[in-house]
Amino acid sequence: MPPFPVDTSVWLALPIGVAFGAILERAGLGSARTISQQLSFANWTVVKVMFSAIVTAMLALFWSAQLGWLDISRVAIPETDVIPQTIGAAIFGAGFALASLCPGTACVSAASGRRDGLVAVGAIAIGSILTAEFWPALGKVAENAPRNSATLATDLGVPAGAVVFCISLLAIAAFLLAERMEHPVQIEQTRSVLQFISSNPIVVALVLSVLAALQRDTVSGQRLLTTIAGEIGNEADHVEAIQLGDWIRQQRPGVRVVEVVESVADVNPDDYTIPGSAAVSLVDIPNLQVLQADTLVLYSAGGTHAAQAWVLLRARGLPSVFVLRDGLAAWEDEIMSPAPPTDSSVSSLARYQHARELQRWFGGTIPDQGNVWSAPTAPPRSGKPARRRRNTC
Amino acid sequence: MTGSRTPAPATYVNPYAAGVVLGLLLFASIALAGRGLGASGGFTVAGTAIVAAVSPEHVAQHAYLSEWAPHGALAALTDWSLLELTGVVIGAFASARLARRQRAEVEHTRQESSTTRLVQVIIGGTMLGVGARLARGCTSGLGLTGGALTSTGAWIFMAVAFATAFATAFLLRWFPSSVILAPAPVKR
Repeated sequence: MPPFPVDTSVWLALPIGVAFGAILERAGLGSARTISQQLSFANWTVVKVMFSAIVTAMLALFWSAQLGWLDISRVAIPETDVIPQTIGAAIFGAGFALASLCPGTACVSAASGRRDGLVAVGAIAIGSILTAEFWPALGKVAENAPRNSATLATDLGVPAGAVVFCISLLAIAAFLLAERMEHPVQIEQTRSVLQFISSNPIVVALVLSVLAALQRDTVSGQRLLTTIAGEIGNEADHVEAIQLGDWIRQQRPGVRVVEVVESVADVNPDDYTIPGSAAVSLVDIPNLQVLQADTLVLYSAGGTHAAQAWVLLRARGLPSVFVLRDGLAAWEDEIMSPAPPTDSSVSSLARYQHARELQRWFGGTIPDQGNVWSAPTAPPRSGKPARRRRNTC
Repeated sequence: MTGSRTPAPATYVNPYAAGVVLGLLLFASIALAGRGLGASGGFTVAGTAIVAAVSPEHVAQHAYLSEWAPHGALAALTDWSLLELTGVVIGAFASARLARRQRAEVEHTRQESSTTRLVQVIIGGTMLGVGARLARGCTSGLGLTGGALTSTGAWIFMAVAFATAFATAFLLRWFPSSVILAPAPVKR
């Protein structure tokens, strides 16, 4: 046995890779020429291969989950982190055009003997490792608000089948455009379109996607519940007090802090609350007026109501809901009166300084100077977040 | 064809057929192993493994690098994405050989020299590496896998990456100073 853990299904990686490489090579995607011609709209191989692969796999996944053959909730859905992904995609796209290769096809090109492919492989590895090396320094450009199982269906609040249907239509439209641009002088345009649409694979794809659109959304409901359970399991349901402090201070758009209470009428207005938070009773949580894009942070006196509200809101399909870890107590300990670090390591010192900055901003007290409860109820210099959120919640 | 000539390379397969087979492979990978296809992850693992081989402490202390090789350089060799990438190279090599497309060459247009092409590839390749890392995937891991799983981030990536790629290719063709960087001429 090796002295480190080995993934049990790892033996599959090599044969899957071999098949992947062979298919890319057979389709001509190991040649920068093919990709370059796609980018000048002369040869639509890239679009055709990618869209047919996506639609085939998407329909197979949707239907095998729908028929109960595959537990889709155990499949890791690639993370969504909009800002870094948009920046990354723009850099990637420009590099794609310059090199006329992408990471996978660069390997295929190199394996076909092409020297430019080999150079591309080296350059991609260097670019990757440099980014990884400077990852902490990149801050929000690298890591802004990663979300684990965000799908178009959960983010847009539509059934998964509807998304499948729309993507299939988009693919067929792209294929028609591709055929048209590759054969611009064809006289009987309408007939060739009809011929293409009525070809067997397209008909199969169309039928499967229309049926998908008609499916009741049981799978995505089940998937959501399993996703929620998974998030609880891997602690993705929590946000740290420091993080929340940063969000409020930076006025991150869409952040709303909610204190979940038994009944709003019983709330003592003199009790300390997190600046900008609004009290909402647990029974009103399912009807809370929020936007899909909002980031909700929940806390409650005992923590139980916040956790219950979290499940309710996630089950409603809101993608970005967090419970403040250790509730108001953590806010008071970590932000309003941060304790000096017990060790002198650079990281805990930096954390302490960061907490002190937040403390000053939120107007907390220095621990030995007395009572936390005397802290003001709103940030001192900017009352904006408080007012804005109170109005909207 | 005369006997002394090597036989012509095989033609490429129908792209739709290739796409359907690729889609079935992607589905099989997700169904059997719980993960789809990817490429850029393997590059990061390989790079991290090299760094870990030179300086294990650096990787172990680095919050992000240590995620890519949590058990050191040797263990990284059994990483899924690196093994898959190794498979890609083997599969492509065999396929190119069987199709008689195995050639030591630098693909470039008539207007540009091999050197220009290589400079272009070094700049473009580095950008691909940076972009894929920031986006958490590339045309395979995000485009194909995330696309089929209807991940929001994957579709944002695809839209932005392809829009930028088409725009960049367009600019490269029309910028007078970079005519040599023009994409390959259309062969009909």
